[in-house]
Amino acid sequence: MNIVLTALAAALAVGVPALATAWAQSRIGPAISASMAEKPELSTTAILLVAIPETMVILGFVVAVVILVRAA
Amino acid sequence: MIIEMAKLRILGPRERLEDVLRVLQDLSLVHLSSPEAAPLARVELTPAQDRERRHLASALDDVERALSALGVAEGSAPVAASVTRADLARWARLASRVRRETERLAARTTALEEERALIMKYQQFFSAFRALLESETRWPNATTYHVLLRGGDTATIPQLRVTLSAAIGEEFQLFSQPLASGETAVLIVVSAQVAGRVERLLAEARVQEIPVPEVYGGKSLTDAIPRMLARLGDIPREREEIRTRLRALGREHGAALRSARAALNDRLRALGALPLTGVTTRAFVLEGWVPAGSRHLLDAGLGAAFGEDVVVSEVSREEWESEQAPVVLSNPRLLRPFETLVGLMPLPRYGSIDPTPFVAVFFPAFFGLMVGDVGYGLVLAALGLVLHARSRPGTTLRNVAEIIGPCALFSIIAGVLFGELFGDLGRRWFGMRPLLFDRADALLPFLLLAVAIGAVHVLLGLVLGVVSARRHPRQAMGRGVSALMVVLVIVGLLAAVDVLPRAFFTPAALALLIAFPVLIVLEGLVAPIELLATLGNILSYARIMALGVASVMLAVVANRMVGAMGSVVVGVVFALLFHLVNFAIAMFSPTIHALRLHYVEFFGKFFSPGGVRYQPFGHWTRVPDRSRPAPRNSRQAA
Repeated sequence: MNIVLTALAAALAVGVPALATAWAQSRIGPAISASMAEKPELSTTAILLVAIPETMVILGFVVAVVILVRAA
Repeated sequence: MIIEMAKLRILGPRERLEDVLRVLQDLSLVHLSSPEAAPLARVELTPAQDRERRHLASALDDVERALSALGVAEGSAPVAASVTRADLARWARLASRVRRETERLAARTTALEEERALIMKYQQFFSAFRALLESETRWPNATTYHVLLRGGDTATIPQLRVTLSAAIGEEFQLFSQPLASGETAVLIVVSAQVAGRVERLLAEARVQEIPVPEVYGGKSLTDAIPRMLARLGDIPREREEIRTRLRALGREHGAALRSARAALNDRLRALGALPLTGVTTRAFVLEGWVPAGSRHLLDAGLGAAFGEDVVVSEVSREEWESEQAPVVLSNPRLLRPFETLVGLMPLPRYGSIDPTPFVAVFFPAFFGLMVGDVGYGLVLAALGLVLHARSRPGTTLRNVAEIIGPCALFSIIAGVLFGELFGDLGRRWFGMRPLLFDRADALLPFLLLAVAIGAVHVLLGLVLGVVSARRHPRQAMGRGVSALMVVLVIVGLLAAVDVLPRAFFTPAALALLIAFPVLIVLEGLVAPIELLATLGNILSYARIMALGVASVMLAVVANRMVGAMGSVVVGVVFALLFHLVNFAIAMFSPTIHALRLHYVEFFGKFFSPGGVRYQPFGHWTRVPDRSRPAPRNSRQAA
């Protein structure tokens, strides 16, 4: 049972931020694409804006790793 | 690094202003700015000069259009030692003539394309109703209509029948045939007496009728089609004649037009420099920046041309702000390609720190840690060599090729440390062993390594922030305290988890408590939030571990496909495809994330954007030099 709960906790730790990241990027992507259509020089900003929400899933991944390592 | 600039003031007799500007343009050293001294009047273009500027701009537009149409915009251009007004006028006439000729040829090409498309449409129609149309001449009192319906528009034909029956009774015949293009060809034959009503009906129904063009003669498609087919044979020949004519024009006038482009741009620049000059009744004053190391070239050039008549003096450093000075990045040859990555951000301000050397070290290192595979590193190196061979020096592609080199090297080094060659293939085939740790198993050590690298990188950024704020002691102290507190937090955490002796914990906590109010006094209430953000920035480097683990796992999965598919051949094909996909991901994702770690986590600590690019007043070149000082004593061809 403990293994199941640990695995579930790890999955939630990475899964929920992944959904949040996906939602954030789904909003940022079209907005920055529209901006780039008018100002192509915003390409660097586009990279940054799209990559910024990924911090959430990265941190979630770290937490998942910590959960799994501690459980092991 | 950002090279040191000197602000200079050039004074001379007013009547020699244009000569001085000519010499300055030849020297291509001075980034001109408006003189700020109060009693000076600004030079304004005379009506004649303004007229000349407009004419030159128009001629330049003609030249650019003609060069573009002829496809000869690139290439050398002989530059005349001196360009007279007669030369400019001659080039303007030539550009206008060639532009008109190229536009005429382009219009002819478009017309031929349209004609070909039209004939193809008729040809399809004719093929569909050949048998019927050949008897068209035997319908003396009939009028035929040729109609094309869009693909999938099947409901229109029954509707058309009903509408025609209602309007003209049974005095018509309607044939339809689907075409290979997806459209439907419809042939309607009606008696001549009701033709007018049918035409109105077709117009009201917005059905696309394709009448036989007058140019092919008569109303009969049967008569017109042979002429059309003959014409179809002529069109490629005519198009080839146009291409030959364009090539001939390019050969005949390309060099002259390129010379004209350089000369017209030069003259426009010279006219544009005049309003940047301050004048009194007898003297002129020009101000601008030159790289401090190139000052002697300016003195020598002006001295040789004007002797004592023109005086150059340096404006003292106290009289100008750093923000006004233009920026020139100057880095060693090996680091220079990385200016491309820094160039994706706005230029750093004069007096701040050029991050290129740090990017040149850390970007390939991060990339290598994320890819971390000898096999992928070797493939990447091969890709870099191909790009290098196929690119020209100074282009972005060449810079990318030269960035790929260190990235591939770091990937190979990291691959050796992690014992990876196309995932676990090196271990299975060649007995490779990880020298540091196995990324697939040692998740925690890899995570700690990534975060430790992040701590070093972010702390370096904070230290650079202190250095860049050296002229503002309070800000520098605030950044210093912030860096110190980050170190104390790290020490405290390491002591808490027994990596460092427990004895470090209490002193670190006490020091933090003391530093906290100092930080708020120096940096304000936002400082604690920024401190937390900095700690978040360090954790953000965990992405190096996350992407690294994902990369090795995908490679391992690719290798296992060989045994999992039943057939070895199918397994190998799938494994290769999977490795290819993983390689593509390994090129894209680490690049984006390594860039992000630099732009957000690292640059955010010290980078001051908003610098003005150094653009010396000089002769026009096809690809403007973006930042490097290029002292030239002779005219440079485009």
